[in-house]
Amino acid sequence: MVDHPAKKPPSRPIEGGLIVLAFALFALFMVAPAYYVFKGSFQSLSISIASGSAGWTLKNYFYIFSEGYHIYVINSFLVCLTATALACAISLFAAYALSRFRFRGRGLVFGAIMGGQLFPWIILINPIFILFARNGLVNSHLSMIFIYTAVITPFSVYLLVGYLTTIPKSLDEAAIMDGASRFKIVTQIIMPLIMPGLVATATYGFLQAWSEYLLALTLLSDESKKTLPLGLYQYFGEDTVNWGALMAGSAIATLPTLLLFLPLQKKLVSGLTQGAVK
Amino acid sequence: MKTYSAQAQERFSAFFMLFPTFFVIISFYFYPALYNLELSFTDMEFTQLRTGGDWVGFENYIEFFTSNDSFNVAFNTVFWLTAVSVTLRLFLGLLFALLLNSKMLSSLKLSTLSRLFLLVPWATPPVVSVIAWRWMLEPIGGPVNEFLLYTGIISEAISFTADLATVWPTIVTIMVWNTTPLVAVSLLASLQTIPDDQIEAASLDGATRWQQFRFVTLPYLMPTLSVLCLMSIIWTFNNFIYVWLTTLAGPGTYTNVMATEVYMKAFVDLRLGYSSAVGVSMAIILAAFGALYFRVVGLSRMQDKVG
Repeated sequence: MVDHPAKKPPSRPIEGGLIVLAFALFALFMVAPAYYVFKGSFQSLSISIASGSAGWTLKNYFYIFSEGYHIYVINSFLVCLTATALACAISLFAAYALSRFRFRGRGLVFGAIMGGQLFPWIILINPIFILFARNGLVNSHLSMIFIYTAVITPFSVYLLVGYLTTIPKSLDEAAIMDGASRFKIVTQIIMPLIMPGLVATATYGFLQAWSEYLLALTLLSDESKKTLPLGLYQYFGEDTVNWGALMAGSAIATLPTLLLFLPLQKKLVSGLTQGAVK
Repeated sequence: MKTYSAQAQERFSAFFMLFPTFFVIISFYFYPALYNLELSFTDMEFTQLRTGGDWVGFENYIEFFTSNDSFNVAFNTVFWLTAVSVTLRLFLGLLFALLLNSKMLSSLKLSTLSRLFLLVPWATPPVVSVIAWRWMLEPIGGPVNEFLLYTGIISEAISFTADLATVWPTIVTIMVWNTTPLVAVSLLASLQTIPDDQIEAASLDGATRWQQFRFVTLPYLMPTLSVLCLMSIIWTFNNFIYVWLTTLAGPGTYTNVMATEVYMKAFVDLRLGYSSAVGVSMAIILAAFGALYFRVVGLSRMQDKVG
């Protein structure tokens, strides 16, 4: 079914075959694990092993929700959405200041924020745990919100600085002439203009918080406070593994990230690689 | 407000706009990092949460650098966790990018589909990736073992996460699966910036396919590749989640890495001081890579970016 013979690639049957084979292997490697989890979440495992195949069932989903899985879902949404909103707000102003003002030590400030992006959180778990435990801040969603804000902020500033450079400074200058304050400029002129960039930044931040495990593990031990990744992993029992529950829980934990990724992938890529590709 | 000069007002705004971010960075990064340094010179244990430990000088560091387990931990971290996984991730990422960029694939109308496939692991949270692969490799009922048994390649199911020969390759596979798409997509974006006439000119000059790749394509990708490489090293070296969720650093302590050592010493052995010393040692190694990263990305280039 080739409509444009001119565009037809040179016929190299071996190379073509290799590419199709490579594509098949690539597709299998990328999709198979997710496919099996999704499929498994709708099957009753004991039956499927015995008979080789089994009908569809919602048993696993009913089971995890009867065990209180929705608490983790709610906790995760609460903590991650609030942290993302906070991080975006403070990052927008910081990014604006970095891209529009010149002051001594600006390079240092930007470097410090960039350093935060590469910072190994594992070395902060002891001090943060001790400081929080002393002040009764463990097992608190408010602490998690602040920590996740701190986790998300450096990269958000980096992304937003990138988006802000695409907006001409003459706009700001015109607004200043009209007597607008800098804060007004950010909230009323800049924000609507970089909305797409801000949405991409927020999405990325939300995904970072959504899949965070280590800090949640360190600071949350109360069952009613746990976030999704912690709650999900509990279905690996001491001796037995509840695969059905794990798969249903996994499907629910991945759904929001998948839905967010699809529309935003192009924007994310350009934001991520802006430092490298010039 | 007329009493302030315009310049003073600008300074005022800059300060207030940067203050919240700065506050967050200082209270959640700098202050805890310094406190961690202080902890590493004490013998603080979990029972001393409120009182704090006693000053022991370099004792924790000496213990870490002279203990036999540490060699194993350092080797696992440097070789398996970082070197092997980063190399494979970059290699596969490059391969995938070239595949997705090939004309054959777009003429078969598979480009969009393959980009979608790439999104699947990327959008999967690490916890779910570990669960998915542990199920794939499960001895009873797991698809990989079922397939190998069915085709007769093996006669007895392999317990991938319990067998010492397969446990590291398993962890590396999970990491590579979850993180390669980012590399592939970034490289694909740079591949698409290569002008077609460059490749055509090379092929007119009689360059073989390999030469075209080696002397035209690769130089174009080099800046992206080097940034990706350093970023991967830094993010992987201190990674905790894949090893912890796949094996809990086991069997025994066979797959223990520095990050899991920090966690276990603090929250299993309850030795916060010693754990902090391991953390500081890690941070020093990372700082070296961080410095290299800033060199490659170029602080100067960041300055261009900010104006």
